[in-house]
Amino acid sequence: MIKRHPIVFLLLLALLILLGLAWQNRAHLAAFPDITSAYAAKEYCSCRYVMDNPADYCVSYAKLPIPLSGFFDDAENKRVTAAGFGRTNTAAWIGPREGCRLLEQTDALPD
Amino acid sequence: MSFKTLHRLSLLAGLCLTATLTQAQSWPAADWETGSTPSGVAVEAFEAYSFPARDDANPTGVRTDAVLVIRDGKVIYERYAGPTKAETPHLTWSVSKSLMATVMGVAYGEGRFKLSDPVASYYPPFAAHPQTKIGHLFNWASGLDWQEGYELAPLRSSIVAMLYTRGRNDMAAFTAAHHQEAPPGTRFRYSSGDSTVLAATLKGMVGAEAYQDYPWTALFEPLGITSAVWESDTRGTYVGSSYAYMTARDLARVGLLMQRGGRWQDRQLLPEAWVDFNLTPFADFKPSGPNEQVPGGHWWLNLAYEGAPKPWPDVPPTAFAALGHWGQSLYVLPEQDLVIVRYADDRDGSYQHNEFLKRALAAFAGEVQP
Repeated sequence: MIKRHPIVFLLLLALLILLGLAWQNRAHLAAFPDITSAYAAKEYCSCRYVMDNPADYCVSYAKLPIPLSGFFDDAENKRVTAAGFGRTNTAAWIGPREGCRLLEQTDALPD
Repeated sequence: MSFKTLHRLSLLAGLCLTATLTQAQSWPAADWETGSTPSGVAVEAFEAYSFPARDDANPTGVRTDAVLVIRDGKVIYERYAGPTKAETPHLTWSVSKSLMATVMGVAYGEGRFKLSDPVASYYPPFAAHPQTKIGHLFNWASGLDWQEGYELAPLRSSIVAMLYTRGRNDMAAFTAAHHQEAPPGTRFRYSSGDSTVLAATLKGMVGAEAYQDYPWTALFEPLGITSAVWESDTRGTYVGSSYAYMTARDLARVGLLMQRGGRWQDRQLLPEAWVDFNLTPFADFKPSGPNEQVPGGHWWLNLAYEGAPKPWPDVPPTAFAALGHWGQSLYVLPEQDLVIVRYADDRDGSYQHNEFLKRALAAFAGEVQP
């Protein structure tokens, strides 16, 4: 096999190594897509409703290099929902001493 | 004379000096008193470094949001930039760690724990690490395989996972699930996990009900701090590593408390032994490069240590600080009777503590400056 199909062998070997690495890092990989939207929702919420900065400032403040696919600031209820990488996350303002927190249940983005 | 003894003696000398000055000391009441604001070329040079023109769309360079300078207990300089105002409760990021240490210093004075107590006696999930003592966590020496580091290595970053993904509902339990890589108490590795576990042990020390108000009843109210916000995880554990907010004027109160050896007016709010622990370098610290601040008990020290020079060469070795992501800083310079708060939004590595403090000393230290 190695002699007859050296390239196929190398490709299979590379695939096995990649699968091994993915398995080793499975917990990290599973959580990874949440980072962008969770970060944006949480840090925007705190920027806007804890620090009381202007909304447009907070948009750039809570931006990561990877763009979001959806974003909604429910100003009336102080709830912030962001989507990206196929995941959605919601942060909500809890109270004057408690500030904002990421929620276990996410809100749906408005159409 | 050993280095530690020398350091303790210099602290003691500082405290004695402070004690003789008690009569003349100013303390903030509902608000700070204002002293005369310095001016001149040194102040201009300080401002040229601290407040260059800023571009929020393309954030690079030094981006100071606030500077507040307290000398002899009075405001002598105050300036805000960007969206930040005097009444903005600004995010302190990892300055929160030193704030949590100060809150817990009050608990220490109440006899609620000893540094040699096992973490597991106040936070049962730490039974997996039975040898870890409370004091180890204050030295960031849990020995866990924690990966700090924010935007650059997001996949394996423990801090990103703790704050935003896998750990966010129960940050202390997320930390406790890390593997023991080195024996506790033997290795310094900066870890937001260690600080968050401390916040969880405080719940065990004071009880879940008192815990909800404890930072306020223990520290913020006695100091007259009214703007504080402290976010918690889903379990209600304070994010002791990262998420405390307050105005610059309120954060400076904590600096003044530390500058004056844990005393607030007539009350010794933090035991002297506690402040001494905060300002004692972790014995097994090995500097890994130049300009690396020396870890004390959840505060940062400007000491020459283990052959490495002072991290901030132009600043006295008695200076210490609480430091956070994106340039948040609370500097205490006891010899100059200065407390300096800096809030910022530095998104690259161009800001230098030494340069800022060198110019601040020239501008604000007054006649005390040798």
